[in-house]
Order: sequence, then structure tokens, then C-alpha cells
Amino acid sequence: MSKPVLWLACLALLALGAAPVRAQEAAPIPKASWSFSGPFGTFDRAAAQRGFQVYEEVCSHCHSMNLLHYGDLVGIGYTEDEVKAIAATKQVTDGPNDQGEMYQRPGRPSDAFVAPFPNEKAARAALNGALPPDLSLIIKARADSSPIKGLSGGADYVYALLQGFKEPPAGFKMSANMNYNIYFPGNQIAMPQPLAGEDVKYADGTKATLPQEAHDVATFLTWASEPTMEERKFTGAKVLIFLLVMTGILYAAKRQIWADVH
Amino acid sequence: MSAPANQSQSKIVRWIDHRLPVFTFMQHELYDYPTPRNLSYWWNFGSLSGIMLVIMIVTGIFLAMQYTPNATMAFDSVERIMRDVNFGWLMRYIHMNGASFFFMVVYIHLFRGLYYGSYKEPRELLWMLGVIILLLMMATAFMGYVLPWGQMSFWGATVITNLFSALPVIGPKIVAWLWGGFAVGNPTLNRFFSLHYLLPFVIVGVVGLHLIALHQHGSNNPLGIDRKGPQDSIPFHPYYTIKDMFGLGVFLIIYAAFVFYMPNALGDTQNYVQANPLQTPPEIVPEWYFLPFYAILRSVPDILFIPAKLAGVLCLFGAIGVLFFLPWLDTSRVRSARFRPVYKWVFWLLVIDVLVLGYVGANRPEGWFIVAGRIATLYYFIHFIILFPVIGWLERPLPLPTSISAAVTRKGGARLAGASTPMEKP
Amino acid sequence: MADTAQPKPMDAHVSATRRDFLQIAATAVTGIGAAIAAWPLIDSMNAARDTLAAGAPLDVDLSHLQPGQQIIVLWRSKPIFVVNRTAPDLKTLQEPTVLDRLRDPDSTVLQQPAYAQNWHRSIKPEYLVLVGICTHLGCIPEFTPQPGGTLGPDWPGGYFCPCHGSRYDLSGRVFQGVPAPYNLPVPPYNFISNTVIRIGENPAGSTFDLNEIEQL
Repeated sequence: MSKPVLWLACLALLALGAAPVRAQEAAPIPKASWSFSGPFGTFDRAAAQRGFQVYEEVCSHCHSMNLLHYGDLVGIGYTEDEVKAIAATKQVTDGPNDQGEMYQRPGRPSDAFVAPFPNEKAARAALNGALPPDLSLIIKARADSSPIKGLSGGADYVYALLQGFKEPPAGFKMSANMNYNIYFPGNQIAMPQPLAGEDVKYADGTKATLPQEAHDVATFLTWASEPTMEERKFTGAKVLIFLLVMTGILYAAKRQIWADVH
Repeated sequence: MSAPANQSQSKIVRWIDHRLPVFTFMQHELYDYPTPRNLSYWWNFGSLSGIMLVIMIVTGIFLAMQYTPNATMAFDSVERIMRDVNFGWLMRYIHMNGASFFFMVVYIHLFRGLYYGSYKEPRELLWMLGVIILLLMMATAFMGYVLPWGQMSFWGATVITNLFSALPVIGPKIVAWLWGGFAVGNPTLNRFFSLHYLLPFVIVGVVGLHLIALHQHGSNNPLGIDRKGPQDSIPFHPYYTIKDMFGLGVFLIIYAAFVFYMPNALGDTQNYVQANPLQTPPEIVPEWYFLPFYAILRSVPDILFIPAKLAGVLCLFGAIGVLFFLPWLDTSRVRSARFRPVYKWVFWLLVIDVLVLGYVGANRPEGWFIVAGRIATLYYFIHFIILFPVIGWLERPLPLPTSISAAVTRKGGARLAGASTPMEKP
Repeated sequence: MADTAQPKPMDAHVSATRRDFLQIAATAVTGIGAAIAAWPLIDSMNAARDTLAAGAPLDVDLSHLQPGQQIIVLWRSKPIFVVNRTAPDLKTLQEPTVLDRLRDPDSTVLQQPAYAQNWHRSIKPEYLVLVGICTHLGCIPEFTPQPGGTLGPDWPGGYFCPCHGSRYDLSGRVFQGVPAPYNLPVPPYNFISNTVIRIGENPAGSTFDLNEIEQL
């Protein structure tokens, strides 16, 4: 291997090998297949819409998604009118009115997703002291199983976790109000198993098995973590092609100019 | 090529130049400026560093138009940039990965200097200005990382600012002064934002001095011998302008691959969780470019009467401080490692050592990581403080070529030394 | 070029044109790259998605608005005057002595949607909706509906801008001899019921965007 390549390999090792070794008993996260993986990946809009349905009907009772607005849902294929209708089914706190009081009104596309609890303390009070994390960035925050910390790493984690609830092995001491999950670090998670299959009736008729629901909600959550992913990859292709052409021309010019020196 | 600016055809150019000699300056410092004809691609990394500085400043300024430096709003303002601001995701990913690429390029530039003796007479101040730039970059990067107010932002800030409490007597007071409160909080975030905006322009100033120092004697070259005359040089333009542009193209391809296809590969996933002062993440790890120094900080045990914490802080700053003294620590009369048979291999030991330190820094200080960290830290200081002077004294360098052009043209373009000429002082 | 090494002899003409082409191509492609790189930065300063979303239409309930009363609401960060005009107010708006003193009594300059290009500059005569920004230099004019008073005996009632003294009638039409050049703009709005207007939305069949007007 030539020296410059050796050099760069050393630096790459330093940079990428910096993933810390975590001491955990959790099982390694299996890799699943995703429509958005790879440089040409896109979001499967039908899956994302089904995943949104799962989020709405199950997850949103405990988990907020504060960074999303109803209007953003056009990004997974809903029309403006469908989005207005979805928003209008929610009750949003607004105000103060002319009497100085806060009031409820139907939602609009510009409203953020309604949170299940008004604040952290209310959530903990309702849930035995546990705080369900906001899901807006959960996929990016759990992406460690991917060597490049890409979105599929986080999706693999969520997909596995949702199907990882099992009976604790004999002799394993469970703490109060905790649930055994083979993929969660430390194996004890405060969230009880949220999905078991057939939890929702999909609007498009797809059979709602547990793996299907988990796959769809992971797709939805991935889109929610990075709605601009498709734009990023598409722009990247154009930029890289341009750079390759530009570098080629510059190389030819360099050789031409240096011809009388070499 | 082009005529001197004061004889330029254009009346406008002559008018301006007579009053403010920018064109004469450009002509002299960029176009005509004699540069060794044998520079390799390792000499591209200086201009790449400069370009990265510009990219970071430009993206930073546009990001600052949208960012809110308040502890309750910072995290959300960054996500607003990612989701709602036109091309916000692009500016953020360029800036975020740009920090990593800036350090990568500067580290290569630094190691190039170590290998070819670019820090040696008459370039000592040039080198020291470079170390100052590195220090300023580290401060800037540290503060910049705090701004998104994620878990790593907050806890990294807590750990590093707490370092100063190791100083006897005044330590805790300094820490409280840095924080502006009882812990890292909103006052800390605001002042870090202000300083993060300021320091890059200080870096620009020091880079200006760095370039002035460079132009005093011109670039070093892979042979480490001085230019003897015009046959050893070529004008910077068009030879090195086009070579730098080509190198930039290659660099941008790699940079773009990260920005567009693996934008979070070099980061920490924990920073996508909002800062929580009540919950420390399981691992607190700095960005990769700080890992070797982090390892040194944690490796040092109690030394005599100095507690480990203070010793670690002193060694951390010492690790960068020792770089200032390299021009005097190195006793060799030969610059380039190409003609230094012993140093040439010892150099690679340093590279391996830094990589080991980086790996140790990424992991918890337990088990064999502690041993490895201590050995690697010890070697780091031994390398500079003991090996540099000793190797310089004891080594028998290879004979140097008579001149750059002799070395370059004799073998028809290959950059090998002429073997039978008498040894020359660099 | 004393510093350069000896160039090899070559066919000067052919290589000169080829060298020029490559160098021109190199410069051009780099310049294009720089321009392409500048665009995202400039576009990032345009209104972001959430800012545009916040400019959505605003509903205003008129049922509590008394005759002769004005309320001010914010739409797209601009103050919007909503006035319930009395019958005497509406009579004054058609008096020739007042119309003679106006700069643009027939609203010929495009400062309002087509459905407000009339003497009452609104959909229903009783209710006036205006963008409350003086067309001179942007202050918010004061609502002075009472005739006479400190503004002089022939003041018919309307708006008085305290900054530089511009005056408008109770349809927002600007008087002659004052600094302001144009009538106060009328925003797009629509009655979604008898007592509720939606500011920022046109009635069915009309299109009008506030950006079309002559000057805010």
C-alpha cells in the first residue's frame, strides 16, 4: 500500500474507530432492510403513513414529537387537505383570549404535534416516575449500531426493540415497574410492551402483524428524524458528479501546466 | 506571464495600485513568488487548511443568523435549521463535518512539518504561529460543540471546564468565573457563542502572520535543502495555484461524501438528545480530534506531590506546549527525514502512538486501556523531549543533494537524492 | 519569467490553444462551482418553512365590534385595522368636498384587491379592513374617526399618522398635500360567515396577493 494511502487509512481509523466500547448485556442489534438505506434510499411513503397511524393510535399516548408540525406530513405523501383534516382532529391549546384565559381549538397545519403531557412532571406522575423520551430524533439518537451512525442503525434499533420484549430468564432480578427487553441496554426498560400485532387497523388494508407495525413505525420515525434525507442524498449525487468532472478538468490542466517542469 | 502591475495596460489597475498596491502585492506574493519546484502533494495541506477556515467562517455566519444561544431554545433552533431553514441541513452538516475535516487537514499539515523539518531554522516562528493556530482551533471547536446544547455539548463542557478546578487555590474560582454561575448553564452558553464567533477572526489574524513568516524564506521542500537559485524554483502561479485547485477538488470529493452520505459518522449520537443536567450519559467522549489529548489527560497518575487531576491537566497543556519547543529540541542539522535514517522510523512510532492514544481516549479508562494510555503518554513526551535531541546528536544523516534542481533533473523527474555529492549543510 | 525552468521546445501554436482551452475550462468550472455553492447560503436567508407556515390566514370575530370601533390584529407580523363604520361615516366617504381633497379617490393605484376597489374599499360597506402601515415611512396611523377636533374644522374623520402628519379618510384613502403617496393597502380577506372574516384568504373566484400592491 502506498504511503499516502497508509497515512489516510491511519487517520480514518482514528476518526471512525472512536466509537466507544459499551459494556452492556444487551443483544447485538440485528440488521433489517430499509427503503431509505444507502446512497439512493428514499422513504417508502406508504410505510411511513402506516407508521404515522401506529404512532397516532398507540405511541402518542405517552411519547411527544415536539419538533414535528402537522404541515410537515406532506413530506410522507399526504395532501394539503388531508393534512388540514388530520390537524383539525386535534385539540390544541391557544390563547390567551380577550378574557385572559387559555382555550382549546382545533389544530392547524402550522401547529406542532400535540404532546400527551403538558410537561415532564405530569408525565412522570402518570407513569410511575418514568419519562418517555420525545421521538422526534430518536432514530438519530440510537444510531450506534451502524458503523457510520446512519439512519438505518437507529431504525434497526427501534425495530428490534419493539419486538424484543420477552420473559426474563430464570434467576434474573427485575426491578419494580420494569420490563425485560433483550435489546435494551441493561435489559430493563420502563416502557411496557407497546405493540403485540393487530394493535391498529391499517387504512390501506395491510395486515398489521407485529413485525409489520414495528417496521412501519420505524420508517415513520426515521422520516421524522430527518425529513430532508432524500433532498440530501439527491443533492449529494449532483454535487459529487460535478466535483468529479471539475477535478478531472483541473487534473488535466495541472498536467498540462506542469508538462514543462517534469 | 503578466507584466508588473504598475505597468499594467489597465488604467484602473494602475490608479488603484498607485494608491493601494494590492495588485503589485498579489503579483509579488502570489504570481511571481518563487516556490521550490519539487513540492509534493503533502504541501497541499496548508492551502486546504486556509480554505477550510473560510468554509467554516462562511457557513458559521449564515448559521448564526438562525441559531438562538439560549439554553431553552438552542437545541430546537438547531433542529429548526435542519428542518425548516432553506438548505439549513446542508449548512449545518458542512459546518459540523467541516470541524472534523479542518482538524484532519491541519494534523496532516502538522505531521508533514514534523517529517520534513519545516519547523527548523529559519522557520521557528512560522511553526510556533502554527501551534498557536492549533490552540485557537481547539478552543473554537470546543466552544462550538457546546452550542447545539445536546447531552455531549453540556457534559463535555462540564468535564472540560471542571479541569481548571485542578489548579491549586484559584481553581474553583476560575471555574465559577468561566461558568458564570453554579454550573454550566445559560450564561456559559451565551459567552461561548460570543467567543466562538470571535476566535475564528483571531485565527485569521494569526494565519496572516503565519503567511508573512512563510513568505520571508519561502516553503520548505521534501529534500529539506534551501533553494540555491532560480533553477530550483518555479513561480507559485500557475504551477501551485493549479496544483492546489486540483488537490482541493480531490479533498472536496471526500468531504462531500461525508456531508451528503455519512454526515453523522464522525459525531456522537448522544448529541441528538437535548442536554439534561440531571442525567450523565453512559460515556462522555469528545470529538475524535481531541481523543489523543483526552487520553493523556486521563492517563496521568499521581506524580510525586502533584495529584493526578492536576498532573493530567498539566500534561494535557504540556502535550501541546512541547510542540512550541521543537525547533530547539531537535538537534539535527538535517531537515528532511528523507536523509535521516533513524528519525524516519521513529517518526512513524509517533504516528502509531497518537493513534493508540486516540483509541484509548475513545474508551473507558479501565483494564488494559489504562496501561496502554500510560505507556503511550509516556512515549509521547519521551519522543519529543528525549528522542528528538538524542537522535539529532547520534544520527548519521545521509548525504544531501547539491541542489533541488540537481536532485530533480538528474533522474529525469524522480525525486531522489544524488548519492555521490558531498554532504551539505541545510 | 526568469524564475521558471527551461521549457521544452514544443509546437507553440497547437499547445497554446490547448493550454488556453484547459485553463479556461478549469477557471470556468471552478467559477461555476463557486456560484453554485453561494446559492444555498443566499437562499437560507429567505423565509424558512415555519415562518411561511405562520403566515397562515387569521380568523377575526366581528360580533363584538361596536359601530365606530376599531380593533387591530396581527397578520404576517403586520397590524391590520378592522373597523365597524357607522352610517354617518359612510355618508362622509362619498361627499365631493372630501373626494376633492384625496390624492386617489377612486383607488386607481393597485393598493387593494379587485373586490375592494370601490368607494368603501371593502366587501361590505360597514366593515373596513386595512393594513395599518403608513405608506410614507411605515408608522402605524392613529384612528381618529371624530370630525373636527385638533385636526381642524374640516377634518372629516379618518386616520392621522403622528410621525410626519399624513392623513387618510375612513376608507384609508390618502389626502393630498401630505407626505404619504398611496392609499392604505387592503389585505386579502373573506367573510367565512356573517360575523367572521378570515384575513389572508380571498373570496371564492378571486386571487390577490399582498405582494402585488404598489407599495406597502
